[in-house]
Amino acid sequence: MENLEDLKILAEQWFHQGIEYLQKIPPTQLYVAIGVMLVTIIFILSIRLVRRTRSNTVLLSGLSGSGKTVLFYQLRDGSSHQGTVTSMEPNEGTFVFHTENTKKGKIKPVHLVDVPGHSRLRPKLEEFLPQAAAIVFVVDALEFLPNCRAASEYLYDILTNANVVKNKIPVLLCCNKTDKLTAHTKEFIRKQMEKEIEKLRVSRSAVSTADIANDFTIGIEGEVFSFSHCCNKVTVAEASGLTGETVQIEDFIREYIKP
Amino acid sequence: MLEQLLIFTRGGLILWTCKEIGNALKGSPIDTLIRSCLLEERSGAVSFNYDAPGAAYTLKWTFHNDLGLVFVAVYQRILHLLYVDDLLSMVKQSFSEIYDPKKMAYDDFDETFRQLRIEAEARAEELRKTKQVGKPVSSVKKQGQVSKAGLEGGNKRISEGGSKKDDGDGSKAKVGNLTNGHSNENHGMEDDASQKTELANGKENTSSNIAVDLSKLQKLRSKGVRGRGGVRKADSIGNKSSKVAPVEPAKKATKKNRVWDDAAPKQSKLDFTDSVDENGINDHVDIVAADQGESMMDKEEVFSSDSESEDDDGEPGSDEKPEAKKKGWFSSVFQSITGKANLERTDLEPALKALKERLMTKNVAEEIAEKLCESVEASLEGKKLASFTRISSTVQAAMEDALVRILTPRRSIDILRDVHAAKEQRKPYVVVFVGVNGVGKSTNLAKVAYWLLQHKVSVMMAACDTFRSGAVEQLRTHARRLQVPIFEKGYEKDPAVVAKEAIQEATRNGSDVVLVDTAGRMQDNEPLMRALSKLINLNSPDLVLFVGEALVGNDAVDQLSKFNQKLSDLSTSGNPRLIDGILLTKFDTIDDKVGAALSMVYISGAPVMFVGCGQSYTDLKKLNVKAIVKTLLK
Repeated sequence: MENLEDLKILAEQWFHQGIEYLQKIPPTQLYVAIGVMLVTIIFILSIRLVRRTRSNTVLLSGLSGSGKTVLFYQLRDGSSHQGTVTSMEPNEGTFVFHTENTKKGKIKPVHLVDVPGHSRLRPKLEEFLPQAAAIVFVVDALEFLPNCRAASEYLYDILTNANVVKNKIPVLLCCNKTDKLTAHTKEFIRKQMEKEIEKLRVSRSAVSTADIANDFTIGIEGEVFSFSHCCNKVTVAEASGLTGETVQIEDFIREYIKP
Repeated sequence: MLEQLLIFTRGGLILWTCKEIGNALKGSPIDTLIRSCLLEERSGAVSFNYDAPGAAYTLKWTFHNDLGLVFVAVYQRILHLLYVDDLLSMVKQSFSEIYDPKKMAYDDFDETFRQLRIEAEARAEELRKTKQVGKPVSSVKKQGQVSKAGLEGGNKRISEGGSKKDDGDGSKAKVGNLTNGHSNENHGMEDDASQKTELANGKENTSSNIAVDLSKLQKLRSKGVRGRGGVRKADSIGNKSSKVAPVEPAKKATKKNRVWDDAAPKQSKLDFTDSVDENGINDHVDIVAADQGESMMDKEEVFSSDSESEDDDGEPGSDEKPEAKKKGWFSSVFQSITGKANLERTDLEPALKALKERLMTKNVAEEIAEKLCESVEASLEGKKLASFTRISSTVQAAMEDALVRILTPRRSIDILRDVHAAKEQRKPYVVVFVGVNGVGKSTNLAKVAYWLLQHKVSVMMAACDTFRSGAVEQLRTHARRLQVPIFEKGYEKDPAVVAKEAIQEATRNGSDVVLVDTAGRMQDNEPLMRALSKLINLNSPDLVLFVGEALVGNDAVDQLSKFNQKLSDLSTSGNPRLIDGILLTKFDTIDDKVGAALSMVYISGAPVMFVGCGQSYTDLKKLNVKAIVKTLLK
């Protein structure tokens, strides 16, 4: 009990001493000190807010077998090594493009994520969407028509995703395997996708309250869907994973993640 | 000879292939393995069979969960190589020593692999010679080695049911029969010590080394079943009833009652209903008597097969319980904080067991829960525990992942899109509702019709249930309420022909969708299943929807696998139509015992397209995967 009393008295003494010290400082200095503290706090908060929108994550998505893993390794190492099989897990890496290795100076690395395309692993894409700065949707230009429906459904799901719409994430529709003779052109692919998405727009609707993933619809009512109707930018490009033709993809990515 | 041995990362990059064996593989066995086995949470199975035009391969695999590597060996099915599992585990060990995440090419591994292969082959040769002489000792030693190899999930439990063809398989009962009866049927690698003594006792012959192919397996299995059941009355149903899935407790309880109760009182209860009829019109007597006879015969057979499976259930169960090493509480807490420990099987056992129990309390079929736990175990073994996580939370996270993966549909379930596609081709979109008795086919058919009508799709109903009294009237009432056309031909007509005519009628009057209602049938009923497959073969519908109720327990596994098996066996075309989707009914009657959805999806691979949750037209919804997973793991 006595110890407590002593401690209390000691604390009171310190308190009084502190107040006296504070009162001794001229008021201007005090205000300046407080002002500096406030400014620093505001500065840090604003940087944090700004930095959140400037992430450097790019997603490689698309159907299974379209060539995402090959493209990933091409961008990173310049070769696809010994080949790939169906991915079971995402491939992530933060690096500077292989073609940019020769450039001098400090280039900002890109955080590239190759999300598996298998439909059972679809939920993985949703994990990465909030932090994405750009999306590359890879389509197999060789086997396009058999997979057209599945590809367009996947693209539709991406374009109507809440994160994509709110943050206006740009999407690149990349036609892969263009080194083959029978591959379709990017114009053909674009038109087909637009047609399919138009059909999906008509047939999609929420069955019940149980599972509403997409609150948003795309396109303008009454008009045939076109990629220019999306509020986020959708462009089309060509690439070839096997031969290393990835210039257009790199340009697209660098447009949004400044080196 | 090995066709190929691959090492690749879980992200999909091939790290090393054997360059000595230069054979290009026909078809794409690796991709098929990943898509239909590993991603379907069947990684607990022992092997996978792949058939391509011109080749029949068997694939075996093992994981290195810590480094995220997969090791796959491919060989021809007709060559029964014994050293594959051994070789895989040795390759795993030596490769993990030289593995470096930055390195992409491992040419120096060629030499190591060649040596390992020679070693493994030599060892297998030696063992085969000693086995032929008949020494059980060395084979027991081999068993010790083999158990260390990454054979996931308890050798005794898994039959060659890794292959898709073995549909009705997987229950302990059958394997119990198998291992205790004819052990020479198994892969040489899968025998365990208790069987070795039996082997040595003279059942042994040179065929012990030969891994059996499926037809032999089935023949021998049926022999084994009859051998065991010889004391009881012979199964006239034969194989099929013996393949009944593990008995759920409710059945066991009623069966036990019957055994010590006099059969007579129960019969007299039945007699009650019949005597009422008898009092009525006399010409009903013959029909009633015939019905009486049949139903009793059915019941007895069910009992005998049930008690058989009960015995077999007991034995493997007791063999299985491994001794879990009990780590002290403090050391486990310490490890969870530092997170350095590699997960061992013994660590995972208690957590997985608890999880399995939890799943079973949520009405997941027992063998499905078992297979799932094995798959999760295969994917977690050897992984490093992250810091500040307990083993149970890691296991829970892995299981949640696996459940989401299974319940996420493999293909799109957008029916409206399919309807529009069929509309463009000027054909009606035909949906056939199949299922056992009393699950709610007609009610849910009406709900689906209502939903389609709301989306401006014109619907026509076809009353192909020509057996049950009142079925046609029921559909007629629904059709009248919904104001859709109905095609009916009354009772006692061939349902396949009725369906065919209904589709022609729909094409004529331009309906977009034809909903075909069929009679409920038990999966064991051979003539009815034949009639169903005739209907499906004749009309080739666009969607075969299996209607199952959410109240069903372990029987769901049996129903679905038998339906699929019959549809594929009795199909006339090269490409058999299997069940394309599942409609889960009576969902409002279960509060949180949602496990039936999981069992059905796992065993058939078909997605749940609709969920019926009430009796009015609006009670139809989609399956919410995340909600179900959360409820299952609560």
